[in-house]
Amino acid sequence: MAPQYIANHNLPLLLERLRRYAELHGPVRGEDGVVRFAAIAPGTLPDLSALRTLLPPKKYLLHPQETILNYTAAAGYQLQAEDVRSLILFGLHPCDLAGINYLDRVFLGDAPDPLYAARRATLTLIGISCTPDEFCSCHILPSPLNALSDLFLCSVDEGLIVTSGSPRGDELLDGVKDLLEEWEGAVPEDSRRFFGHAEAEQVRPEPDATLPEWQEFASHCLGCGACSLCCPTCYCFDVLEFCGLDSCSAERVRQWDNCLFKSHAEVAGGTNFRKERAERFLYRYRHKYRGFGPLQGVPSCVGCGRCRVVCPAGLDLRPLAERLEGRPL
Amino acid sequence: MKKLRVAIAGLTACSGCQLSLLNCEDELPRMLELFEFHYFPMASSPALMEGEYDAVLVEGCLSMPHEKELLQELRRRSRYLVALGTCAVCGGVAALRNGEEREQLRQSVYGENQVASETYEPLPLHRVVQVDAAVTGCPPEKEELLRLLAGLARGVLPVAIDYPVCTECRMRENLCLLTERSALCLGPLTLGGCSARCPSLGVPCEGCRGPVPEANLAEALEIYAEKGFDKATVRDRLRRFCPEWKL
Repeated sequence: MAPQYIANHNLPLLLERLRRYAELHGPVRGEDGVVRFAAIAPGTLPDLSALRTLLPPKKYLLHPQETILNYTAAAGYQLQAEDVRSLILFGLHPCDLAGINYLDRVFLGDAPDPLYAARRATLTLIGISCTPDEFCSCHILPSPLNALSDLFLCSVDEGLIVTSGSPRGDELLDGVKDLLEEWEGAVPEDSRRFFGHAEAEQVRPEPDATLPEWQEFASHCLGCGACSLCCPTCYCFDVLEFCGLDSCSAERVRQWDNCLFKSHAEVAGGTNFRKERAERFLYRYRHKYRGFGPLQGVPSCVGCGRCRVVCPAGLDLRPLAERLEGRPL
Repeated sequence: MKKLRVAIAGLTACSGCQLSLLNCEDELPRMLELFEFHYFPMASSPALMEGEYDAVLVEGCLSMPHEKELLQELRRRSRYLVALGTCAVCGGVAALRNGEEREQLRQSVYGENQVASETYEPLPLHRVVQVDAAVTGCPPEKEELLRLLAGLARGVLPVAIDYPVCTECRMRENLCLLTERSALCLGPLTLGGCSARCPSLGVPCEGCRGPVPEANLAEALEIYAEKGFDKATVRDRLRRFCPEWKL
């Protein structure tokens, strides 16, 4: 069967149709020029030309700061109640899909996180093809993570070739079938080809802690946290508990953390497992390019390039990773 | 639950930090259930120090001899002493001209008149007494103040923040004024906790919360230089709220 595509002039209709299924979010360029995942206002189009949003879609699954538990003397700890609405995320690039795949492995693995699971269940993912720029590294350091989506759109000059990747995708396709036409032209190379390289899932030796690069990175790092806040797979969080202004209530808050912060490896008594910023870079490198814990051997870098784009000091782990990992595609 | 005995005092400052506390109008009734604000000259009279306190909150820096005595007296009487606001934490705007000739400064403001002849270079509290906790900001954030009080009521001090303004600015997905607009934004060097209040409104961070731990001044100066700001400009901006910056 010939692939199906939706002509460019039908894109507004497709979006309106999708809106019937759920609230529709996608990359939207703000007045300040920043592209963010946000609600696509009726009658407007998402910015499909932008290569990356400032924050990745993880913000929908793990909020930057959120209450996770509430305590009262009468009821004890209670899960934070949340009104979760169905959401379609439109226009996710393969790297962001792979990022969600990684978060799924972490938060839906052996001990599923209830808030994450509830939010994840309401998401419909619609991916779209893209072409890497000079900041991307998906095409240089391929990932074992899968770029899974419910629908995937592949850009061609005349429109978007549409394929389904799940029963939810089939349902959506069925709902828009009158907008689809048969695609007779050539099908471009799949943008997702850099993902799902299972052979990369091998445990590699620890990176050399004595490399001068760790100190070099540390000397330039401002410790602002931008690299991990904007990373699609950085999920480290801090948990804080705040008492209420009474004698009987409290809330437990989870907020994004960063392995380059002083407190990240600090424990009671002020002892710090990674006192020096250079040690923190080695730690960050291990997580991004080697993986650890239950996901040892699974690099978590999906090559989106955000860390390089947002670092005020222009730090870039990629040249070092290319040297140390050296895995040609 | 026994009410905590609290003292709130102001030294050299604008009283804005104490006012931030009084501005928590919705929460004041609940505060009064938890605390006895025994000594709080700005809010109630007569204000006479008496007995011991569970906590004292002190706004402002030290610039006059009697302030030092008052601070030491409060310290002696209290279990916890909390520096309230940037002036108390790092000197603040009153210390803006520290390092310049004192008598000349006095004369340029008061002329030949002997007013303020007893003042000395403003100092943050930690230079004179042990400070157990700090809530910085000019003025402090309401949320931080309430969390401080709620914590004190349970006998705990607030967790110190260790990340800069940039962190919350990124969490809010703001345009980066430093990298994208080449503005002299002090976010990378300034302690967070304000939810990036100013950059979220398109105004570069002025550094009002003082230095973040492990601030990388050398790198920041290089970045500012690339954007066309020389060291003197950056120094003046940084020292507006925190004269203790070494550069």
